Amino acid sequence: MTVQCELCPKRCVIKPGQSGECRVRINVDGTLRTVVYGFPCSIHIDPIEKKPFFHFLPGSKTFSLATVGCNLHCKNCQNWEISQANPEDSEAAFCPPEKLVELTRDYQCPSLSYTYTDPVVYYEYTYDTAKLARQAGIRNTLVTAAYINQQPWKQLLQYVDAVRIDLKGISDDFYRQICSATLKPVQDAIVQTRASGVHLEIINLIIPTLNDNPEQIRRLVCWVRDNVGGDVPIHFSRFFPQYKMRNLPPTSSQTLDMARDIALSEGLSYVYIGNILSESGQNTYCPGCKRLLIERSEYTVLQNHLRDGCCPDCKKAIYGVWK
Amino acid sequence: MTRRKFIQKAIETAAAIAVGVFWLAEKTGMKKFVRAGKLKIYPGTLKPLGNINSQSKWSG
Repeated sequence: MTVQCELCPKRCVIKPGQSGECRVRINVDGTLRTVVYGFPCSIHIDPIEKKPFFHFLPGSKTFSLATVGCNLHCKNCQNWEISQANPEDSEAAFCPPEKLVELTRDYQCPSLSYTYTDPVVYYEYTYDTAKLARQAGIRNTLVTAAYINQQPWKQLLQYVDAVRIDLKGISDDFYRQICSATLKPVQDAIVQTRASGVHLEIINLIIPTLNDNPEQIRRLVCWVRDNVGGDVPIHFSRFFPQYKMRNLPPTSSQTLDMARDIALSEGLSYVYIGNILSESGQNTYCPGCKRLLIERSEYTVLQNHLRDGCCPDCKKAIYGVWK
Repeated sequence: MTRRKFIQKAIETAAAIAVGVFWLAEKTGMKKFVRAGKLKIYPGTLKPLGNINSQSKWSG
């Protein structure tokens, strides 16, 4: 008997003994099973800025994990060795949710991040761990492309404190041709996240010739401003040739600066540049009085002048989770 | 056509339309999300946890 997975918009119809597109959700005798529950392929402690979250517990460490698998197949994937791996060909440790929470506490990390691949495909593992972590006073953050159906997303958001969503482009063609996905469900998940009150940051990887056109960038930032607000931080990230897209050059710093200028001119308050050293593109400035609030260098916070989440000079409240 | 036959035809047509609409709604409508069950055995190779206290090489 076939089963249909209702987790993501692909709605894979899976025959017995086969897996969905994500490779990790399989049909066992007519029942849908996840093969990666409790089996992370990677566990590390990272700076929260690496995710990147710039407005969520700055300067803190986050306990980070991933399993193999992804429901997207981006030609430029930076983590393709794990995201596009078959579970049968991969290595993983046994670490059930209770153990993850215990380790997070032992290593004194204030948060747990479900990252590297996409927590959407290890949904049940993420959900159960996040629920336990919340009970233990540990925050949960998701680093995701948010290609997920609204019902499971709503259920998961109950236990999540922050989400960094990858808005890969602003055209459906781009999503179809580069990522084997579609744009609308991602936009819906972004809007749903903001409406739920969970902290949100957005990242956009700028790929030369594919999504670096100023008009596309303007459309993307205007969509963000008009649908989730100008105070949501946006990160423009530098592309490096990877996986099936080794024919394009890395994004130039001029293109990243241009994207930042467009976003600022369109009224976004917190615009960052990532994957490249930048003098001011990683700092947080007060949108009111322009004072430097947080100075960063790569993943390190050098100075943090915020007082109770507000600018010390003009007292403007800065969007984020600061303690 | 007699009145009895007309009513019979009308009922049959209405029933066919209702069945069609129901079938279409079921096919196109949002189904309830059901969690996937766990597998107790990993299909790949098991490894120790390793050095957790280090920054990952992966993006994100």
